[in-house]
Amino acid sequence: MDWFVINLLNGISYGMVLFLIASGMSIVLGAMGIINLAHGALYMVGAYMGWTVAVKWGAGFGLGLLAGGLCAGLVGLAIERGLLRHLYKKPNEQVLLTFGFVYILANLCLWIWGGWPRMPFTANFLTGSMEILGRAYPKARVAVIVVGLVLAIGLWWLQEKTRMGAIVRAGMDDKEMTMGLGINLERAFALIFFVSAFIAGSAGVIGAQLLGVHNALGMDILLLALIVIIVGGVGSIQGALLGGILIGVIDGFGKAIFPQLAMFTMYLTMIVVIIVRPAGLLGRKI
Amino acid sequence: METIKHEKGQDRWVSRGAPYILGTLVLLVTPLFLDTYGQGLMTRFLIFALFAMSFNIVFGYAGLMSLGHAAFFGAGGYTVALLKLHYDVNLFWISAPLGILVATLIAALFGIIALRASGIYFLLVTFALGQMLYSLAWNVKWLNSKGMQGITGINLPDLGIPGFTLDTIWFYYLVLIFFLLSCVLLYRLVISPFGLALEGIREGEPRMDAVGYNTWYLKYAAFVVSGAFAGLAGVLFAYYNFFVSPNHLGIATSFLPMVMTIMGGLGTFLGPVVGAAVFIFVENFASILSPQRWPLVLGTLFVLTIMFAREGIGVYLWRLWTRWGPNYGSVKN
Amino acid sequence: MEALRTKALSKQFGGVDAVNDVSFAVNVGERLAIIGPNGAGKTTLFNLINGQLSPTAGRISFFGQDVTSLPPHRRAHLGQARAFQVISLLQKLTVLQNTLLTINGTKPHRFAMFRPVKKFEDVLQKASDTLKGLDLWEKQDQPVSNLSHGEQRRLEIGLGLSMEPKLLLLDEPSAGLTKEESAEIIGIIKNLRTDITVLIVDHDMDMVFEVAERILVLHYGQLIADGDPGQIQADRKVREIYMGVEDAVDYAGTA
Repeated sequence: MDWFVINLLNGISYGMVLFLIASGMSIVLGAMGIINLAHGALYMVGAYMGWTVAVKWGAGFGLGLLAGGLCAGLVGLAIERGLLRHLYKKPNEQVLLTFGFVYILANLCLWIWGGWPRMPFTANFLTGSMEILGRAYPKARVAVIVVGLVLAIGLWWLQEKTRMGAIVRAGMDDKEMTMGLGINLERAFALIFFVSAFIAGSAGVIGAQLLGVHNALGMDILLLALIVIIVGGVGSIQGALLGGILIGVIDGFGKAIFPQLAMFTMYLTMIVVIIVRPAGLLGRKI
Repeated sequence: METIKHEKGQDRWVSRGAPYILGTLVLLVTPLFLDTYGQGLMTRFLIFALFAMSFNIVFGYAGLMSLGHAAFFGAGGYTVALLKLHYDVNLFWISAPLGILVATLIAALFGIIALRASGIYFLLVTFALGQMLYSLAWNVKWLNSKGMQGITGINLPDLGIPGFTLDTIWFYYLVLIFFLLSCVLLYRLVISPFGLALEGIREGEPRMDAVGYNTWYLKYAAFVVSGAFAGLAGVLFAYYNFFVSPNHLGIATSFLPMVMTIMGGLGTFLGPVVGAAVFIFVENFASILSPQRWPLVLGTLFVLTIMFAREGIGVYLWRLWTRWGPNYGSVKN
Repeated sequence: MEALRTKALSKQFGGVDAVNDVSFAVNVGERLAIIGPNGAGKTTLFNLINGQLSPTAGRISFFGQDVTSLPPHRRAHLGQARAFQVISLLQKLTVLQNTLLTINGTKPHRFAMFRPVKKFEDVLQKASDTLKGLDLWEKQDQPVSNLSHGEQRRLEIGLGLSMEPKLLLLDEPSAGLTKEESAEIIGIIKNLRTDITVLIVDHDMDMVFEVAERILVLHYGQLIADGDPGQIQADRKVREIYMGVEDAVDYAGTA
């Protein structure tokens, strides 16, 4: 029983990080129709920046989190404002452009921070463990679950209940009409992209404990995000959450039962979902 | 993508035959004046040009953005490598066909899965499938030489001709023969009803459906054919490189034909070749000047091409040729 | 002989009934118009008949064969051809390329991989005949986007006819056309052979009353009237929907 619960919690906490990663990407995909392939790279930028502020400069986890998010957010914003917005009606080009940035950002991070990975880090008050069902369980992982839930609720509320959410949904359905109504879609897009990148960067700091900080993150995280989106479906927070948790749990139990199999449980799940429900479990057609 | 302009009517390429003849002559003659390093570089160029041309069928002509093409390339290479590693087979006439076959089978399998997804999902799925193979190659012991990642110990192929062993320059000519052969086959494919139908799908799948084409089948066939040629490129690559690694199955390699095709001119027949030439050239210089920064240069070059030269460098060169080159007359029915 | 029959055809989107329990039959050679206010479900109905959408209920039979679950490309082979509301021609390809593609669509060699398109003599001949008949032969190498709207409509309808269809579906052929261009289209339709069945959706009442032998009226997805032009004009429900009862008298007077 203990074994089950511990692995379940492991799976859920990992799944929450996956949700954090995929949510940002899903927002942009759902609202702007762009796959931001540089999303993983933004995660990485956030992780490195967060490490620098929190650990290297010793300013604490909270500031590190903020710094990571902001840094990634600003980079994302720069990409959107400087380049992406000139390709508004051309989603293929936009996707390709973001892919170029995977290489650019990865190499820049290499240049600035060097090739050695950083030690996983977390907040001081989260080090150590707490008791769950009579066993010690890392506080940091519990915190990740909590943060993930809070973000999920927050984003869902934004998506369903606010004016910005309504604008985004309208823009998704009918861009010209929305713009005709005088709503500044350009600004909305810039904001959305910034928020998505901010989430990615913050996820990098939060997830550092579980996923580490190293130069291959850009591609690794991208792959994870894509698998979560394929499984959970695009365009909704619920989809990213379901996809994340499902993959996290399946992967967690997979690793516990057959350690050799590494990522295959993830891939297998993905293939099954593609064949059975091509739009993802909770997918809506874009 | 705005890549097809009306000047590129299918027959105009043929009527202006001079560039082809010239190009073939250049390819035939130049390596004789180069050292083995230069010859190796030209071999590399031909292999990647072939890889990019195979990718162009799916991406440029059918309009399917696939980020997992290295799966077929790498599969071809790994087949050659595994035959050498486990069965000591070095005969070209066994390894090459098998390599192409394996690549084609993988394309056939992946095609069924990937084409369940439409639009943007297709991209995600092809990416993930490619990475899955990468992961397999990384983890499964049988797919690696002892104690390392990847497979070493591949030599130049044995052609089964008694008393004759390939050296660098003869290998180059072997690759050239297959490259030219593939060019001819792919060209005929592109000007066939099938090729035209692919372009139709790229430009408007719903119309193609309504007019009588089974678009799923067309896309699938394009995917599989493309996989076969990518596999051939991979086979030749294994012999060229003497070494295959999981990286040759993953995104790092899948990205390359995309860069080359876009830089050279998407959806044009020779665009990928031009793009491959530019790429290999720049890569060579970058690796001499600053190997550390090569990905940065590559990424930047790519971004710049997308922003400012979306039709590709090859198209600009073609425009120059058609504006100032000799005029062979226009082509009307 | 019935060319087309729908039985209790329905299509729901979310909670909305785009098409609701529509049943009708069309005889071979009939010229049937489908009218109704915007959003009445006319294009959805076409999408159901042609296969782009699957009905949530009901069945469709085409020349006696149940086609309800057949994809569009199979329906094309059975003899359906369609001109779309928003011109579906492939804008960046040339007039000739579009023509060849359409003609090849129902030919067995459309998948041929190793023979050049230009070597199929019969196809080229047909393309040449079609384009000359449409007076677009001179423009064969131009991208379709270079053609005027009227020329594109003419081409799309002409290409639909080149498919030698049994049923021609015309979705708002007069949209965006000038009076002269519309008259041209009316001329084309009127000159069609009587073994081709024509279904036309349009808002241009002049065109509808000129061309149609029979009119169906849709409103909020439901079929509310089915009759010849005279009957439809006199129909009270139809007049209420379209014009408000007071104006109906004026229109009936000028018809």
